[in-house]
Amino acid sequence: MKIETTLAGSYPKLPTEAGEMNLRVTRNRRDQGKATDRDVEEAVRETTRRILRIQERAGVDIPVDGSAAWDDAQTYVARALGGFAIEGLIRYLDTNTYYRQPAITSRIEWQRPATVEDFRAAQSMSERPVKAFLPGPYSLYRFSRDRHYGGAKEALADLGAALGREATALEEAGARWIHFEEPWIGKAKSDEAPLIRAALEPLLAGRKARTVLHVPFGAPTAVFDTLRDLSWSVIGLDLREAPAGWDLLPRVPEGRAVALGLIEARNTRLEDAADVAREVARARAARPDLEFQLSTTASLEYLPADRAEAKVARLVEAARIASRNGG
Amino acid sequence: MARGLWTTTVGSFPKPPRLEKARSQHARGELSAEALEAMEREETIEVIRRQERIGLDIVVDGELYRGDMTTYFAERMPGFAISNPVRSYGNRYYRKPIAVGPIRRKKPLTVDWWKFAQAQTSRPVKGMLTGPYTMMDWSFNEHYPSREAMAMDLAEAINEEALALQEAGAKFIQIDEPAVSVRPEELPLAVKALARAAQGLKAKTITHICYGDFDVIYPALLDLPVDQIDLEMANSRYDLLERFRVHPFTKEIGYGVLDVHSHRIETKEEIKEGLRRGLEVLRPEQIYVDPDCGLKTRTVDEAFAKLEVMVEAVREIRAEKGIDV
Ligand SMILES: [Zn+2]
Repeated sequence: MKIETTLAGSYPKLPTEAGEMNLRVTRNRRDQGKATDRDVEEAVRETTRRILRIQERAGVDIPVDGSAAWDDAQTYVARALGGFAIEGLIRYLDTNTYYRQPAITSRIEWQRPATVEDFRAAQSMSERPVKAFLPGPYSLYRFSRDRHYGGAKEALADLGAALGREATALEEAGARWIHFEEPWIGKAKSDEAPLIRAALEPLLAGRKARTVLHVPFGAPTAVFDTLRDLSWSVIGLDLREAPAGWDLLPRVPEGRAVALGLIEARNTRLEDAADVAREVARARAARPDLEFQLSTTASLEYLPADRAEAKVARLVEAARIASRNGG
Repeated sequence: MARGLWTTTVGSFPKPPRLEKARSQHARGELSAEALEAMEREETIEVIRRQERIGLDIVVDGELYRGDMTTYFAERMPGFAISNPVRSYGNRYYRKPIAVGPIRRKKPLTVDWWKFAQAQTSRPVKGMLTGPYTMMDWSFNEHYPSREAMAMDLAEAINEEALALQEAGAKFIQIDEPAVSVRPEELPLAVKALARAAQGLKAKTITHICYGDFDVIYPALLDLPVDQIDLEMANSRYDLLERFRVHPFTKEIGYGVLDVHSHRIETKEEIKEGLRRGLEVLRPEQIYVDPDCGLKTRTVDEAFAKLEVMVEAVREIRAEKGIDV
């Protein structure tokens, strides 16, 4: 069976070759008054086109648009939702990268599509199904400061509903894949399970698109019984930073799929494709009934552009070996 | 009379716009290293003057000559390569260290800047280093077989630098470990590496930590082998104090009273209230008052406005509680 390949999260925006459109330069020029917002928009589209081309050339089956317009993984969507104010820069978990902290200041409501135009533009550039990318409600809540709600459960129900509206809008625009990024679920303790359920149950129920619940940096062991009940199509595991994810394979419900995060997004060292293919074989041996994807562990944006491109090539190479050996 | 509530900062100050501009000119090859360094020296003197004027008890050099807190050190140590740019936020990028061979300290990393800064002032200047665990966690690794092996080589190199700072006369040496708090399961490794980095130091040792899941790492955090642990108190609305009631804080504390993530200048009253609450569970001689974290993300004016209110609040609390410097 063919192992499909995909990326998790966003992708570096800088070009690897001189003379290519450089979004960073265009944004700097805009900030100096030497370029317009329109120029930046064009640079975003051109960057998206390049990110898709890199994946297409390498042979990625389910590409991502790379979130070229996003400043960080939270605020692009939070800004479009009602109820959020955007505050100061703070560190993103244990990475040496930053995000602006969203603060909940009134009831969270979906107001307008945040990502649909970007999705349409990206999908029009690719023959393959582009995977839409959204922050997961549980993690978005944990990344935010709550100055409004009395309790997390109520906030999470509203946030789940708001992101559900966004997901529906993406489906209406033709999205066949929607990825929800949930790093905090990998850190959750068992008593957080009801909150995770409150956020995700209505969001995932009855989706037309195939949904990916991606958990980078940790294994969602403590809350996996709750996750089993939720109707995601694919669970994304970071098997490099959290090898404990291997122990979850026997517990994945029948009929679901697993994205094996085996290409490490937070280290420049290149994996050996044959080694990765052997790890895929190990997963298949553990669960011959399941469908598997091969994925990066997390967003390739943690890497410089040259290394990210090399990782994409390695990802596809490993999947080819695995597909060949898997018969 | 009790003594305590000494004022200081966590280390970094914002770079003035003209220095930011000079740094990018230098990066583009339009300004010489000598010209850039001359400006860095001028601005370092200015930052020290302003700290003195406000009345901070322990000053810093402001780290105006450093870019990223890991890359600055990695660029000066064999065993590290530096990556192509990686995004840190929005349109900001930095070059990240990659361990490609055994990491060593072959020459002083910060001692010259420390000497320069100390020569400008009669107040003690803190020596400021990035800790081995954080250097490891925030670098790529293509060489070491394990995170521990990399952290321990770094610890040895940083220890050499710390001893050199002490030799030069530093009375306070801060070895920052902001990455420590996020992976509780690695706290023992961080403790081991920091112990190696601080080995043989008689100067007062400090480590700064940000964020983190204190439910998990406190009180284990108190195992960090330093005299003082510097924590964000204001950012968590002093919630940590409740934990200190259950498990007393046994070391000196760098007591952060300024939210460095916010443009808003704190009021004197809210800082005083934060200090009063602290004094319910901590002794004055345990407390060094400072901002939550480095001030480099604020503007120069915001940074000094915040510090001015902080020092004023400390003065009034000292008078109120009868605490001497
Ligand atoms: Zn900090």
